[in-house]
Amino acid sequence: MPFKTDAIIRRAERDDLDTVVGWMSEPDFQYFLYGDPAQSPRQIRERIVSMLGRAPGQTMPGGVQLLIDSPSLGPVGLVALQNISWRNRSCSLDIYIGRAHLRSRLVTAVAVLRALEYAFDELNLHRVGAFIYAFNTASWRIFEMAGAKRELVLRRQVLRDGVLHDVYGYGVLREEFDEARRVRSRLVESASLEAMVAALPPDNPEPGA
Amino acid sequence: MVVGQHTVIRTAERDDARFLRAAYLGPVPRASLLDARKEPVQPTRDELEELLGSKENARGLFYAVEDRDGGVAGFCGLRGVNQEALFAEVFFLFLSPEMEAGEGGCEAVRFVLGQAFDRLHLAKVTILALDIETGLSALLSKTGFVCEGAQRQAVYMRGGWHDVQTWTCFRGDAVVSDNLQGERHALQD
Repeated sequence: MPFKTDAIIRRAERDDLDTVVGWMSEPDFQYFLYGDPAQSPRQIRERIVSMLGRAPGQTMPGGVQLLIDSPSLGPVGLVALQNISWRNRSCSLDIYIGRAHLRSRLVTAVAVLRALEYAFDELNLHRVGAFIYAFNTASWRIFEMAGAKRELVLRRQVLRDGVLHDVYGYGVLREEFDEARRVRSRLVESASLEAMVAALPPDNPEPGA
Repeated sequence: MVVGQHTVIRTAERDDARFLRAAYLGPVPRASLLDARKEPVQPTRDELEELLGSKENARGLFYAVEDRDGGVAGFCGLRGVNQEALFAEVFFLFLSPEMEAGEGGCEAVRFVLGQAFDRLHLAKVTILALDIETGLSALLSKTGFVCEGAQRQAVYMRGGWHDVQTWTCFRGDAVVSDNLQGERHALQD
């Protein structure tokens, strides 16, 4: 993994409840993901409590809720692996970055990669899918960077601000994620300061030089 | 009850449960019978009787398709109606390949599209199909549906991976028979 931040992904706990309720109540959450603006905070809280509740021992959970956390930034966002099928070894992935100013930052891309690593390397899944609204360009570009392929274009599928938007269905298979991971590693291994300096335009002297 | 040239379509009833169970137990896997995680389920006859006697069914969204001899030849209907975005998922379960490939299958599709677009005023309908449901894909193609892509290797079944296709039909693209429409309105009135 060549990209590094101090963000970690950990299982969401009851102590995170207020943070998660706050994020899920935000208009942005309902705009980019789902939810009903008419829901009361209490209804959202009850829903989250049921999501965060641990599955009974010896049972296979149907979903895993993870929190993106950082020692320097605090809680950053939420990762939900949902509809986990242990038979098909697949799940769907939703990510919400609660800190709006971090949505286009490296931490978001790294969180997606970490979540996919968790799904493939720890849960031993074969496929991860995601439905992303077409207007959410940053999100689907991150998925493509992780090796996902656009499999579906659901035309005029979701209503936002009175307009029907397309929804893209993305899927990444384990071997595709592994290949994207290998490519990223090669890029970093081949990178060197000398090569970067050599790539600079010749008529671009350093300031003060 | 809607009498077509090749089929009779009516609201499904509790007594149809044994035929619906035959679709679940049949040799052909069907995307319409998978659960939300795309896993196959095998409901009991009691559970299916409960389903067919439910309120949703009473609203007339789950139909049995009879052949002209009165035998139950399949099921069709709508579910998951999204009033905000004006779409719903539809399903077609035929108990024989002959019905699916013949005019009876087309009549059932046209009936459901008529219900979706004329009665519920929806803008589009979608349906899932496994890559091995070639008969269903052919039927959808000739009735105005367009494949919008496939979720690759989304289902593991019988020792192999299968893709799940999503087919869509918009209101203006539906191939609806005037003959069946007219007969339906006449009978419902």
